[in-house]
Amino acid sequence: MKRFWWKALGVLILLYVFAVGLLTPIKPGIAELKVGNAKAGQTITIEAVGYNTHFAEAANSNRVWLVQGADFVLPALQVNALNENMLSLQFDLPPFLPSAKKREEFSLLFDNPIDGRFISEQTIAITQDSIDSQQGKALWSAAKVEDLSDRAGMAFPYLAQLKETIRNLYFHVSLWFAMTILFIAAMVFSIRYLRHFREEDDRKAKILTTIGLMYGVLGIITGAIWAKNTWGAYWSWDPKQNMTAIALLIYFAYFVLRNAFEDQEKKARLAAVYNIFAFATLIPLTYILPRMAESLHPGAEGNPGLASQDLDSTMRMVFYPAIIGWTLLGLWIGQIYLRAERLKAKLLDDFT
Amino acid sequence: MNLFKETLVLLRKEALLELRMNYAISGILLYVFSTVFIVYVAFVQLQPQVWNALFWIITLFASVNAIVKSFIQENSARQLYYYSIANPIAILLSKIIYNALLLMVLSVLCWVGLGFVGGNPVKDVGQFVLAIFLASVGFSITFTFISAISAKADNSATLMAILSFPLVIPILLTLIKLSANALRLLNDTGIMKDVWALVGIDLMLLAVALVLYPFLWKD
Repeated sequence: MKRFWWKALGVLILLYVFAVGLLTPIKPGIAELKVGNAKAGQTITIEAVGYNTHFAEAANSNRVWLVQGADFVLPALQVNALNENMLSLQFDLPPFLPSAKKREEFSLLFDNPIDGRFISEQTIAITQDSIDSQQGKALWSAAKVEDLSDRAGMAFPYLAQLKETIRNLYFHVSLWFAMTILFIAAMVFSIRYLRHFREEDDRKAKILTTIGLMYGVLGIITGAIWAKNTWGAYWSWDPKQNMTAIALLIYFAYFVLRNAFEDQEKKARLAAVYNIFAFATLIPLTYILPRMAESLHPGAEGNPGLASQDLDSTMRMVFYPAIIGWTLLGLWIGQIYLRAERLKAKLLDDFT
Repeated sequence: MNLFKETLVLLRKEALLELRMNYAISGILLYVFSTVFIVYVAFVQLQPQVWNALFWIITLFASVNAIVKSFIQENSARQLYYYSIANPIAILLSKIIYNALLLMVLSVLCWVGLGFVGGNPVKDVGQFVLAIFLASVGFSITFTFISAISAKADNSATLMAILSFPLVIPILLTLIKLSANALRLLNDTGIMKDVWALVGIDLMLLAVALVLYPFLWKD
């Protein structure tokens, strides 16, 4: 058992990632707001389309406010649940907005005991013809938001563009992280080969590169599926997609190089040199150049893979273990591959 | 002899060799001019955008053809002799510098040739010269290093293309942007950021190549 603990750990982590990552619900949110022309002093009707919400179940305990910041609040005059995901709202807008501008943006704050509180991503623009910010401020701060409920249980954040596909983070992004880890390990073994010229190091470098490349291909496929659902096409020639495709081509060439030589020692030496050189070009390709180009992909500044605000604490609880899990699984596959390669080498030795 | 002096002597040797066996350089020149001629026959009138694309395609292939022979034009006995009297780093460095100079000449010739048949759409000469300089250095480092690897194989020309084209794409992407800016196809005020990124990539590749080369040459 002592020798296998890390394999068991890898499998357990991945089981946890699959179970929690796929079964945890998405937080309730607002998919769409249907609103006409909103002018100060009028009574307006808004239709809110919810996602994962329980408006009908909460019945009369649904409460909604128009809010701007923490100070300006307007409670809904009437809240009608049409069904679980549809809410009809009526607001009696005061004659003045709490600002000197012609147009102001407001968000909607929803609250009910089942779904807890949540704010719409989409905002509502209200216009005013005559301006009196003093009176407007007084009118808008008359009400207070009180006794907000909390949603029970764990949930992933709701983003209108991503919806359920947010779970792909545990596959697409963590596979790429695991790939980078495996490529770094392959580079380390290549360096070790060039220092001691041991066949075993070359074998390990080759195997780690193979698995890293496999993860890279899986990462690009899961990324393409994600892109289809959020950007509308599997491949949109986005700079980040292109760079990663080139990075994978560079590593594919590693295997072409290996096949070009018969002599074992020469093959191992040249492959090790190329592997280190390839890793050196992987850094600008995936970490420097993509930051300089405009892209659909999140994370232009800082980490090119994802923006920090994309992760909340519940997602971190699955995302970081996922990276470790995929890496451990990769090492396990590598160990089996390594044994097979050793046996092959031994057979060849016995034969000759 | 120190590294600097060694490199200079070897550089002189490379140039002399090229001049004495002038079929290699004339072959490349012939390649450039015949490609330019084909381009003229096919297009007659060149749009700046097409000009930009064709310029880099011709330069890229001319560079590969010029550099692929770096490590195979001399027989292995003579190479062994070089390695026994000179530092391998000096040998690689001299080849990189020589190839960079050769590529600069080639790309300027390509510019003149394309300008002759298709007009000269370059608006910012300084920036275009900078692009050519960075291209020559970047191509030279990558291709020279890869040709050292592929020279060890039997079908080195094919291996050279497979290994070097993906490696050179990051350099090429930035270059095309830079030269498109010089042609005023796009107006990017932050272009210097790309130039520095390119210089950084070139320097990093050079450092890695110099560190790895001593492991490469011995057989």
